[in-house]
Amino acid sequence: MTRFLMAASALALSTAAAHATDKTDVLNNYADIAQAGYEDSLTTAVALREAVQALVASPSDETLEAARNAWLAARAPYQQTEVFRFGNAIVDDWEGKVNAWPLDEGLIDYVDQSYGGPSDENELAALNVIATPSFELSGASIDASAITPEFLAETLHEADGVEANVATGYHAIEFLLWGQDLNGHDAGAGERAATDYAAGDDCTGGNCDRRGEYLTAATDLLISDLEWMVSQWGDHGEARMTLLGDETAGLTAMLTGMGSLSYGEQAGERMRLGLLLNDPEEEHDCFSDNTHNSHYYDGLGVQNVYLGSYTRVDGSTITGASLVDLVAESDAALSAELAGKLEVTMSALGALKAAADGGFAYDQMLERGNAEGEALIMGGVNGLIDQTSSIERAVAALGLNGIAFEGSDSLDAPEAVFQ
Amino acid sequence: MRHFLTPFLMSLTVGTAYAGPVENAAILDEIIRPGFAQLTNQTTALATVASHTCAPQSKELRDAYGTAFDAWIELSHFRFGPTEAENRAFALSFWPDPRNAIPRTLNALITAQDPSVQSPDEFSENSIAARGFYALEFLLYDDAFLAIEDRGYVCSLIQAITADMAVISGEISQDWDNRYAVLMLNPSNATYPDEDSVTRELYKALGVGLELLTEARLARPLGTFERPRPARAEARRSERSVRHIEISLTALRALAAQLSAPDAELSQRSADAFDRAIDLAQRVDDPDFSEIRDPAQRIKVEALQQAVQRIRTEIYPDLGALLDVSAGFNALDGD
Repeated sequence: MTRFLMAASALALSTAAAHATDKTDVLNNYADIAQAGYEDSLTTAVALREAVQALVASPSDETLEAARNAWLAARAPYQQTEVFRFGNAIVDDWEGKVNAWPLDEGLIDYVDQSYGGPSDENELAALNVIATPSFELSGASIDASAITPEFLAETLHEADGVEANVATGYHAIEFLLWGQDLNGHDAGAGERAATDYAAGDDCTGGNCDRRGEYLTAATDLLISDLEWMVSQWGDHGEARMTLLGDETAGLTAMLTGMGSLSYGEQAGERMRLGLLLNDPEEEHDCFSDNTHNSHYYDGLGVQNVYLGSYTRVDGSTITGASLVDLVAESDAALSAELAGKLEVTMSALGALKAAADGGFAYDQMLERGNAEGEALIMGGVNGLIDQTSSIERAVAALGLNGIAFEGSDSLDAPEAVFQ
Repeated sequence: MRHFLTPFLMSLTVGTAYAGPVENAAILDEIIRPGFAQLTNQTTALATVASHTCAPQSKELRDAYGTAFDAWIELSHFRFGPTEAENRAFALSFWPDPRNAIPRTLNALITAQDPSVQSPDEFSENSIAARGFYALEFLLYDDAFLAIEDRGYVCSLIQAITADMAVISGEISQDWDNRYAVLMLNPSNATYPDEDSVTRELYKALGVGLELLTEARLARPLGTFERPRPARAEARRSERSVRHIEISLTALRALAAQLSAPDAELSQRSADAFDRAIDLAQRVDDPDFSEIRDPAQRIKVEALQQAVQRIRTEIYPDLGALLDVSAGFNALDGD
């Protein structure tokens, strides 16, 4: 936490400087942070691919663990980019390919019998495509004999128009590395054996060659999707050009991303709902039990955008003109209040992360009547809700209310982020 | 959930004089507070009926359920303050449920003969999937639950759910009367620093209601032309899907009338737009959307959806301009 406190203080000091903050500089710094975040997501995904290749080539407990560790490392930078989703349509339209959740994992591979079969919502909920080289969908025959990136992206992902048919991205890969977490409210993640990728008679779970094919295809696809997003934030990329094309809309996009991620998405859908359902499946990284990190880095991404600062995977830092300075020029007390609330949230999410790292699993926190776990999760939820009201006031302080009526962003058109 | 209340309690700084637009006070005094008082009466009546007759097909029980559900739907867009504190609205109304948590959780309680049904305090610790109107609907109307032979436990479960609903509704109503109305009518506290923040909250409630209508109550069963999804309709088992849309529109019409009162022209346009949507809802003679695959039915529902969408795009932003507030963020933001 020291690092964030120092960053906040340093920026608070610079606020006192007399020169006005240039809005274009704020937007450019934001785009630089986005670009760096996606670059870091890409380099860690490339490392994941190397580990996956080693696992598929020679499955063992060691290569499986190395692949899992590479996946965990890849999540930290990616989660910090989620704040770019809601304000930037180009990110939101793309995001479902790489980070869709929750998923009916029975679509992909074998599941425990407690999972159930097809549901009212999803006929393919228990398809198990790895064991099924050909299947029927709405009366048509689907050829799944070759599991390629194209097949996953264009046919299986969101098949039958059902969002829970998540065939690609981080969580599909997570399931293939960990398997279902069958520990209920007890500690422990999925326990997929390395032999699920073994050749010949050593193969467990059936169809090990197709499982390896799927894992490889999904990882390749993740990399090509991330490459595309990195280029969108480059000097002449569409995401950056759109952002810089309209200062007012650009600043609104920044605050929209902060508010929508904080409130409806993270505090609501991801944290509070799981708690209210007492359901260990209702956690964001449920196979790997990495949910505490997922929440922490999501929250950190929101703080990064406000303070205009991002610490890269290699330890270097990107800093520049920021919202905290810009808002302070209109309302210094409000800007300090919001920066303070972001710090309170990070402190709460840090406590949640520390507890989970110390062995108090997120599954356990979700259990009915677990007051200590509920307090840890609600600490984060309350912080996120509280900061959202200040973000709304920052929108007003920057005079961004008016753009509501130009219909250009999700702050004013909630249906845009609902989809 | 006790700590969730703390920030609100800490922010209780009572002002002296009310200085906001008269519409805000009228919305509290004429819509919200009497609405939650009514909900308390209806859920209490439901719990009383259930305490002496818990047969799911009992007309008396189903009527009491319907009356109480009507009262909730009128208020279902007021998702702030007393309904959010202690997650009360979630506990009354968990929907939609795309992962089938409701039947799964109810089955787990029944299979385990979970003793929490004997204690209101313990029952209130259960998953929201086993509480409130939508869980009760499964027990009163779903074929699989009606077929359960051991009625004793199911009866206790019905009684526990209805008693819990009455308690929650009473808590919301009391919280409005004892705490939250003061915060909203004296906007110089941490929750509502100024009048605009109160107006924004009420304006957002209208937006939440409209969004629930188009994105959930209508969009879920409509699906696409090629792939309609009647099984996703709200409260289809009790055949209340279209009824909820009409009740919601009528309630939102009244809220919009208060908010638009300062501008006669906008007020009239709003009333006309809502009247058109309500008229279209009344023309849908397919109460649970089970015939949505029939193009003749579908076209009526699409016309209704377009009418509601037009309220969102043509009336709602103009109302924001009139009140000088933006929609801000709401709990429906996100995936």
